Amino acid sequence: MGRKQTQTTASFFNAKLTSTISTSLVLFLLGLTTLLILVTQDLSAYVKENIGFSIIISDNVKEAEIQKMTKQLEKAPYVKEIQHISKEQALEELKEELGEDPEAFLGFNPLLASVEIKLKSEYANNDSIAIIEKSLKKNSDIRDILYRKDLIQAVNDNVRRISIIFIILASVLMIISFALISNTIRLTVYSKRFTIYTMKLVGAKDSFIRSPFIWGNIGSGIIAAIFANAMLAALLYGINNEVDGVIQLISPDVMIATGVVVLVAGILLTGISAYFAVNKYLNMKYNKLFLV
Amino acid sequence: MEVLIHYQSVDIYRQENLVLKNVEMELRKGEFLYIIGKVGSGKSSLLKSMYADIPIGSGVGRVLGYDVKHIKNKQIPFLRRKLGIVFQDFQLLTDRSVNENLAFVLKATGWKKKVEIDTRIHEVLVQVGMERKGYKMPHELSGGEQQRIVIARALLNNPEIILADEPTGNLDPQTADQIVKLLKGISETGTAVIMATHNLKFLKEYPARVLCCKDEKLEPMELIHDLLV
Repeated sequence: MGRKQTQTTASFFNAKLTSTISTSLVLFLLGLTTLLILVTQDLSAYVKENIGFSIIISDNVKEAEIQKMTKQLEKAPYVKEIQHISKEQALEELKEELGEDPEAFLGFNPLLASVEIKLKSEYANNDSIAIIEKSLKKNSDIRDILYRKDLIQAVNDNVRRISIIFIILASVLMIISFALISNTIRLTVYSKRFTIYTMKLVGAKDSFIRSPFIWGNIGSGIIAAIFANAMLAALLYGINNEVDGVIQLISPDVMIATGVVVLVAGILLTGISAYFAVNKYLNMKYNKLFLV
Repeated sequence: MEVLIHYQSVDIYRQENLVLKNVEMELRKGEFLYIIGKVGSGKSSLLKSMYADIPIGSGVGRVLGYDVKHIKNKQIPFLRRKLGIVFQDFQLLTDRSVNENLAFVLKATGWKKKVEIDTRIHEVLVQVGMERKGYKMPHELSGGEQQRIVIARALLNNPEIILADEPTGNLDPQTADQIVKLLKGISETGTAVIMATHNLKFLKEYPARVLCCKDEKLEPMELIHDLLV
């Protein structure tokens, strides 16, 4: 008898293991997509925050006033970074670039003082810059505002395109993973359809029959999520060994968020799938159990 | 005597087919009642309608205070808890041991304390003479043993009625005899028993009231001896 007992437990363990492994593979893919989306978002923010514009100050404005203006601008909501470049600094830079001193043959410094502004990512688009430009131009001390319209447009367009592709990819993957996980769970529940019917016959309430299925599957969902996260960690470790510095692209926040997304998806997908799978057989007439 | 089941001009259908027409019957407390009839004559359908596994077409059907015609899905478990059902094909949970089968029913019906559950399981197993087989899996038991476990399961919540649908259908004559004796004994302790069977031998050995399913009708049979001669 002892032998039989081990056999049934072993086959049950196998069935559970198989479904847990397929769930964890699906969750791994889901985690990978989440990671890509989050990293892309970080990168696009990084690229956008290098977008900025220059405020060219009129020649007659005193240095102290420029500094005062810089202080004021620093408080503006769109400013990520601000740098005041005085006439002298601009000249120094030009000297280095040209290798000779333009002041020497012109007799004066032809350059104008400017303020360089790096924008926060949410303001780094042409529409926002146009509004900022309009409000700044009211100041008579500002002679001009320079920015690269075409570059900003290109960055924004590309970032938007990539985001859309990733969102579509993620939604498709979400649907696929739900279908795969729910099919796996439906198979395990299907094999218990007569048990479910018997449970009904002996007076068990639907919720009482359902709960061990739901909790059991959520349990394997959690195990699968841990597996998936371990695989993701191993993958990142492997890539980092091959290509140095990749890990720096991924902030700890992103890693934690991905882990949480995988875990929550593991719990929700298995729980919801089990709920519906059991309900299907709970509501089924006895005769139909043989036909499905 | 208290009336436990009251059927008045009830029609019973399986899918679209009428199996029993105009059923009139009553079951009183502590009664033992045979329902006989050929295979397919509607014995099982009648019993299934009593535990709301199939709906009744027309008429009035009351089982332990529940209106089985208009019973809501949510109420069905509570009706079944008051009934003990013995199936021809056992309907044990094949994925767990006898003890776990019985514990499932008790837990499903709101028993919480492990000691009480174990005690009750032991009591019913003693009642059916299976107290030493609790650790076995259903497939490790013979048909007769499984049927005893099913009867033990039916007894767990001290039901007012036991519905036994061909409980001896799969058993050899000796074992079948023991099972009927067991059911008869249970009815003498105050639990009403309805037993569907096509084995007329029992009617002679353990005489009781008999209803017969024939030609879509359920009729009382008085002349059992004529039938058996």
